[in-house]
Amino acid sequence: MLWLTSLTNGLMSLFRKRQVEAELDEELDGYLEASVADKQSNGMAPEIARRAALAEVGSRNSVKHQVWSSRWESTLDGLLQDLRFSVRSLGKSPGFTAVALLSLALGIGGNTAIFTLIHQVMLRNLPVRDPGQLVTFDQSDGGGIIGGVVLGYHGMFPWYFARQFEIEPGPFQGIASYSSFSPMVSVRPPSNSGNSDSSTRAIMVPATLVSGNYFSLLGVQPMMGRAIGPSDNMTPGSGAVADISYQFWQQSLAADLAILGKTIMLNGTAFTVIGVMPRQFQGLKLETEPTALWTPITMQPVVLQHPSFLTPAYSPYFLHVFGRLSPQAATSHAAFEQSQQWLDQQIRAGIRATEGNAISAARKQEINRITVPLLSAQHGVSQMRSQYADSLRILMTVVVLVLLIACANLANFLLARAATRQRETATRLALGSSRARIVRQSLIETLLLAASGGALGLLIAFVATRALIAFLTQGASATTLSPAPDAAILLFTMAVALSTGVLFGLGPALVAARAGAATTLASNARTAQAGGGKSSRLWPKALVIAQIALSLLLLVGAGLFLRSLRNLQNQDFGFERTHLLVADFNAQLAGYKPSQASALHQRVIERLSALPGVRSAAVAGVPPVWPGNWTSNISLSGYTPAPKEDMNSTLNLISGQYFETVGTPILAGRPITPADSAGSFKVVVVSQSLADHFFPNGNPIGHWLTIGIDSVKGPWQIVGIAKDSKSNDPRAVDPVRMTYIPLAQIDPFLPAEKPANGSGAPVPPQENEDCYAGTLILRTTEDPSRSIADLRATIVLRSTLICRCCMSRPSKTRFPAS
Amino acid sequence: MPSKPNEAAQFTGESRDMVQGTLEMLILKTLALEPMHGYGVALRIEQISQGVFRVNPGSLLPALSRMERAARVKSEWRATENNRRAKYYLLTAKGRKALAAETEQWHRQIAAISHILEA
Repeated sequence: MLWLTSLTNGLMSLFRKRQVEAELDEELDGYLEASVADKQSNGMAPEIARRAALAEVGSRNSVKHQVWSSRWESTLDGLLQDLRFSVRSLGKSPGFTAVALLSLALGIGGNTAIFTLIHQVMLRNLPVRDPGQLVTFDQSDGGGIIGGVVLGYHGMFPWYFARQFEIEPGPFQGIASYSSFSPMVSVRPPSNSGNSDSSTRAIMVPATLVSGNYFSLLGVQPMMGRAIGPSDNMTPGSGAVADISYQFWQQSLAADLAILGKTIMLNGTAFTVIGVMPRQFQGLKLETEPTALWTPITMQPVVLQHPSFLTPAYSPYFLHVFGRLSPQAATSHAAFEQSQQWLDQQIRAGIRATEGNAISAARKQEINRITVPLLSAQHGVSQMRSQYADSLRILMTVVVLVLLIACANLANFLLARAATRQRETATRLALGSSRARIVRQSLIETLLLAASGGALGLLIAFVATRALIAFLTQGASATTLSPAPDAAILLFTMAVALSTGVLFGLGPALVAARAGAATTLASNARTAQAGGGKSSRLWPKALVIAQIALSLLLLVGAGLFLRSLRNLQNQDFGFERTHLLVADFNAQLAGYKPSQASALHQRVIERLSALPGVRSAAVAGVPPVWPGNWTSNISLSGYTPAPKEDMNSTLNLISGQYFETVGTPILAGRPITPADSAGSFKVVVVSQSLADHFFPNGNPIGHWLTIGIDSVKGPWQIVGIAKDSKSNDPRAVDPVRMTYIPLAQIDPFLPAEKPANGSGAPVPPQENEDCYAGTLILRTTEDPSRSIADLRATIVLRSTLICRCCMSRPSKTRFPAS
Repeated sequence: MPSKPNEAAQFTGESRDMVQGTLEMLILKTLALEPMHGYGVALRIEQISQGVFRVNPGSLLPALSRMERAARVKSEWRATENNRRAKYYLLTAKGRKALAAETEQWHRQIAAISHILEA
């Protein structure tokens, strides 16, 4: 408790400094009086006694100073004094202070902004129990629905296999699964009467399918209500319940406290809301636009708007799987290896089971080498992380360099200032200030600069981070990223500011103190160079060299970057990028049946073509450049593939006028026209690279092409060759092999399955969900932004189509259905 | 224990310099007899040491301030014998304990030094 008394006493005496001093004066007076009285009583004459006593006491101020510095608060007092002095001296040179603050604020702000993103994208733990124990089965950052691959390919699994894991998790504490992507679903929130009806507005939000043990395995407790459990996930088609995210609850359901038990319409089916998840929780997969609700996997046909994936006959790969390691496996390498081996055995056994008995010895060996690596999911799964981690690291390096340049710059500034302040330093030394005190004062000055720069930098960082997030998320309405600094960010900024201050302040401070010692007060000692010797001449030179070197490095980097960007922009995309307006729309969610799609597309194209300022209009499955294109293996008449040859082609579904609208030239044969309709001959157009690859010497026109996806199987006859275009990624160098399929010729019903047991009962034909267009494309005569309003009006007046627009420039607006 | 021995030397003179680290112990011992003001302590030390040690206020007052912070002594403003106000220092229980400990240590050190010198 002693330190506490000392602390309070010290602080009290700091605040009552004057009183403390008065008391000290009085004590000294008393001392003097007593001394004089004593000396007089010993027979000294009053005058002599007084003089002797004064000599004994000595310098009054010196005594007072010594008493004062015997206490700890004197150090603090000195610091405060230095601080006041620093503020004054910075105020005396406002130009220098402004430049210093600005460059520091930019340097520190840049670092903080990038670190905020790095922290959120790469470093933050999942807000779940023991996140270090979570592992995903292979990379889970992709997503989609695929077939015809081996188990665990790109972390994708079918339902029956994921379910097996759930029931028998082997050495894991548990294994759970979830849909590998979060499809947009149309949700009608409950109206005031408590139940959802058609009077409320539908909104589009992402939804995630989860297994019954998903939440319990993550160890997440709902904020209210209950989490989806195994009983919700028993039989396909049952379990119409949903847990909703905190953000969705706040933004779209007005934080309704009585939401539990209410019904929402999800893609037209009634779901009961059973729980609200905690605020920080966004699922294992951190998506740019976080999922709004979770429903059991058994509800897949409703959520994905696709026939059931949960039957033994048809089970495509659409799930990601993750497990919780046993505590031993999370800490010991050997136990981890055991879990890995167990998983690989399960995978290999599963592959052998699907491939049947007729496996060649070579294939058996190949299967025995297949492994699905366990990867840490401590920070969650994030596509943004895999996509931007490298960019963020590069950016971090750049901003650190910028900060170093700012430091070098400031250090040089300070050296110059130290030179002009040399006389001041010499005076202070002569008046009895210690060298340490001068270094301290000088350091306090730079730390003050750095701290103010840091505070300013935080502001800049906030603005910059917001801009960066807007860029990364490309206008998504909700995002997991936040520009607000948290404790870690503040700590980081403080550390950066302080180390910056020491970095650029210590050198000049030492030089100043040393130089001050060497100079006299003589007026001819004017510059630090004159008195500071070799080292003080070396410092500025070294700093300038470092500064120029770093700046040059950055300049060259920036130049190369700009050059690449220009090259990317000016490259040949294979279509005309100007005067192009692209809009998403979804007829399926608006309730159109596959058999109605073709007529709808026709009507939409006619209406849009009639708009003023529109040269031509088309619909397509996806826009001309799209990262999530369909891909399938194809076979061609007259071409025998080599063993293991890559026979994949990227697909797009298009209407007539597509090539004319996007501006991709047809090199041979003819394009797809409105005349290619359901009744006529089935035709496709292929890209030049596809033609060149499979028919290097011959003419592909007239050959037959069959696609490995049942819904668009074909065979199709090739009637034209289109110029290559950048279909997936503008940065890709190799041209993409494309097949363009006429939307109008896709059969609205799937080919009938042959009854397996021959019982004879005819199977009703299943609807083909793959005949919808997802994109409207307009070629305009003027600025495409002028056509946006017309386009919306046309679509909304005509129907309740859900539509969102984007121009050839990446400015997106959202447009929910009314 | 003067914080700056060199400066203390300016006022006391070389021959009367204290043995390092003994000032606090001597003050404690002096105050153990009765509460005293600053000059009283200095006078008493000089008298008992028969003029060998002279303590000036430049080292006495900082030492007292330090000891007060360490709660070995406490201070009170009292009237002196000739009716002036003076700051009196009193020994606390803690100070008493510290005096006992320091005295014991001092004796041990003296004995050890004597052994070495007589060896």
